Amino acid sequence: MAQRLLVRRIWTVSVKDIRRFPAPAAATAASSCFSTSLQPAATRVSFLAPSRALPRSLPHASRREVSFNVQDHEDFTERVINSELPVLIDFHAQWCGPCKILGPRLEKAVAKQKGRVAMAKVDIDDHTDLAIEYGVSAVPTVIAMRGGDVVDHFVGIKDDDELDSFVSKIIGQ
Amino acid sequence: MAALFGGRRRWRSSQCFHVWSRQLTGKYDYDLVVVGGGSGGLACSKEAAQAGPRVAVLDYVEPSVQGTKWGLGGTCVNVGCIPKKLMHQAALLGTAVKDAKKYGWQISGPVCHDWATMAEAVQNHVRSLNWGHRVQLQDKKVKYLNLKGSLMDEHTVKGLTKAGKETILAAKNIVIATGGRPKYPTNIQGAIEHGITSDDIFWLKKSPGKTLVVGASYVALECAGFLTGIGLDTTVMARSIALRGFDQQMAGLVTDYMEEYGTKFAWKCVPKRVDKLSSGALQVTWTDTRTGNEHKDTYDTVLWAVGRAPETKALGLDRLGVQLNKETGKIVVGTDESTSVPNIYAFGDIGEGRPELTPTAIKAGKLLARRLAGHSTELMNYDNVPTTVFTPLEYGCVGLSEEEAEKRLGKDGIEVYHAFYKPLEFTVAERDASQCYLKVVCERGGDMKILGLHFTGPNAGEVTQGFALGFQCGATYSHLSQTVGIHPTSAEEMTKVNITKRSGLDATVTGC
Repeated sequence: MAQRLLVRRIWTVSVKDIRRFPAPAAATAASSCFSTSLQPAATRVSFLAPSRALPRSLPHASRREVSFNVQDHEDFTERVINSELPVLIDFHAQWCGPCKILGPRLEKAVAKQKGRVAMAKVDIDDHTDLAIEYGVSAVPTVIAMRGGDVVDHFVGIKDDDELDSFVSKIIGQ
Repeated sequence: MAALFGGRRRWRSSQCFHVWSRQLTGKYDYDLVVVGGGSGGLACSKEAAQAGPRVAVLDYVEPSVQGTKWGLGGTCVNVGCIPKKLMHQAALLGTAVKDAKKYGWQISGPVCHDWATMAEAVQNHVRSLNWGHRVQLQDKKVKYLNLKGSLMDEHTVKGLTKAGKETILAAKNIVIATGGRPKYPTNIQGAIEHGITSDDIFWLKKSPGKTLVVGASYVALECAGFLTGIGLDTTVMARSIALRGFDQQMAGLVTDYMEEYGTKFAWKCVPKRVDKLSSGALQVTWTDTRTGNEHKDTYDTVLWAVGRAPETKALGLDRLGVQLNKETGKIVVGTDESTSVPNIYAFGDIGEGRPELTPTAIKAGKLLARRLAGHSTELMNYDNVPTTVFTPLEYGCVGLSEEEAEKRLGKDGIEVYHAFYKPLEFTVAERDASQCYLKVVCERGGDMKILGLHFTGPNAGEVTQGFALGFQCGATYSHLSQTVGIHPTSAEEMTKVNITKRSGLDATVTGC
C-alpha cells in the first residue's frame, strides 16, 4: 500500500508541474484543465491571493464544479484524490434527515471560499463500497482531503460557524 | 486522524487473485462461507466471525418478475416484516384518526392517505437498514460479496456477478440460508405478466389502487389489511381456509374483523385468468367453487400471495447430493441444521419443517456458528415459538392451537379457558370489539400445564411476547391465575380468564 501511495504522490507532483495555471475548481476534467492553462496571467495572480474574489474572466464551467456529485470510483480518483484543491467529501443518504440539513450548509461554507475548496457529494446507497472503504458508518460524514490524503473529518451536523472554521482549517488559513 | 483512515484508504485487493493462489496451496480461503444475507445468514456470519475465523457472506437479489430488487438484509428487512409492519402502522393510524374525533380532536374534513409519501418513508427506512447491515458486516470483519452463490462441491462456492463474472471461494464449511421467494400460480393465464407479489408491493412508487389479493395466508391477510386501512378497495380471494396451520377459531375472528373493517372476501373462489384491458386495468375471471359459476371484475392490481418456495435449484444442490424435500423443495435438515452432506448446513426458511420466522433464523444461525467454532453444543429449540399476525385486528399466539391440542390429548384431555373482552380504548371510540378474544388451552387435570395461548386485539404482538416467557418456563393455569394483572390493559384479561368452554357459560367479560 505504501508503494501505491508513493506512486500517486509522484504522479500528483508531476501533474502539478505540468499545470502551470491550476484550475481554481479542482474538480475540472482534463479538457477544462487545458482551457484554464490558456488563461492570462491575471488568473494566476488572483488564485494566489486567496482573499480576493475570482476574476470575471474565468470560464463559467470551473465555477460550477466547486460542488459536484461523484459518479463512480474513477470519477472519485480523478476529481477528489487527484484534486489540486482541498476537497470536502460529503457522504450522505436520501434517507438521512440530518444530511438534508448539513448539505446546504456545507454548500454555503464552500461557496464562501470562492473556489479555494471543492465539495464532492457521495450518496452512500449509490456508492456503498466507496463509503465503506473510507470507513463511513453514520451519516452525514464529511471527510476533508488534501493532495490525496485525509486531513480531517467529522460526523453529524455542524452549524455555519463551525463549518466555516472547519473549512478554513482545511484550506490552511 | 489521518492515520485512522490511512489503512483503509487504498483497499483494492483483487479477491479473485487471492482465492486462486490459496486454492493452489490447498488451504481454504474461508473457514465459513454463508450463502444468503438475510436474517439468518447475517446473524450466523457475524457470530462466526467474532471468534476469529475468516467468514464471507454472499448476498444477491434476483429481481422479481416485475423487476423489483433490493439491498442487503433479506426478506424481513426489504420485502417482509419491516415494510409490512410500517404499512400496518400507517393503516392503524388511519383508524386512530377516525377515533380521534370522539376523543375531542377537531379534525376538519375527511383525512386522506397518500401512498407515495408512505412508500418513500418506508423505503428510506429500509435503505437505512441495508446500510446498517453493511456497516455491521464491516465492523465484525465479515467479507461481504454481492454475488449469486452456488455450490460446486462441499468445499467450493461459486459466486456470479450480474454480468456473469465468476469468483471461486474455497470454504471449510458452507451454510445455506437463502430463504424463499413468493410463488406465482402456474396454471392461471396472465398471472405472471400482470400480477405482483409481496416482493413488489412494498416498493411500488404509485398506489396499487383497487387490489385483488389472492390467497388467505398471513401474507395475504396482512397485505389486504393495510391496503384496506389506507383506504383502498381491497378483496381477498381464498380457495379454502384462512391462516392454514393456525388455530382456526382465531383465524375466523381475524377474518370476521377484516370483513367488518371493509375488506371484501371472495371465499371458495379460484381465479381462472387475468387479462389486461385497454384502459390498463386488470380483468380477473374466477370460479366460485360452491356454485361453479364464473365471475369477472376489474382491478388495478392483482397481488398473488399463494405460498413461498425456496430457490434451491439455482444453488446446484442436486448435483452435490444434498437431500431436498420433494414436495416443498426445501433442504432436509437435522436438529443441528446439518444436511445430508457433511460440512454443508442449512437453516432459516430454506430448512424443511422450520418456522418461516426471523427470530428463529437469527437464533438458529448464532447457535450454529457457535457449534461450528466448537464453542458450544447447544441446539436450537424450535418449540414454544411465539408469533403474531399483523392483520388489522392483530392475533398473537404461542404453543398449540386448540385443534392440535385436541388431536394430541383428546377433547377430554384439555381444558380451554376463554374470554371475549373489550379494550378500554374502544369504548369512547365506539368501536366494535366482537372479535377481541383470548383463550388459554391447558392440560386437563394435574398441574394444568398451559399448552397454548391465543389473543386477538390491539398490540397482540406486545401482549404475547411477555406471556411467551411464562410459556417457555412451563407455566400452568394456576401460575396464570396467580399473576396479578396490570390495569387497565387488554393483556390483564389473560390473567383473569376463568370461564371454560366446557362450562358453556357466557365468556364475555363485564365491567371492572
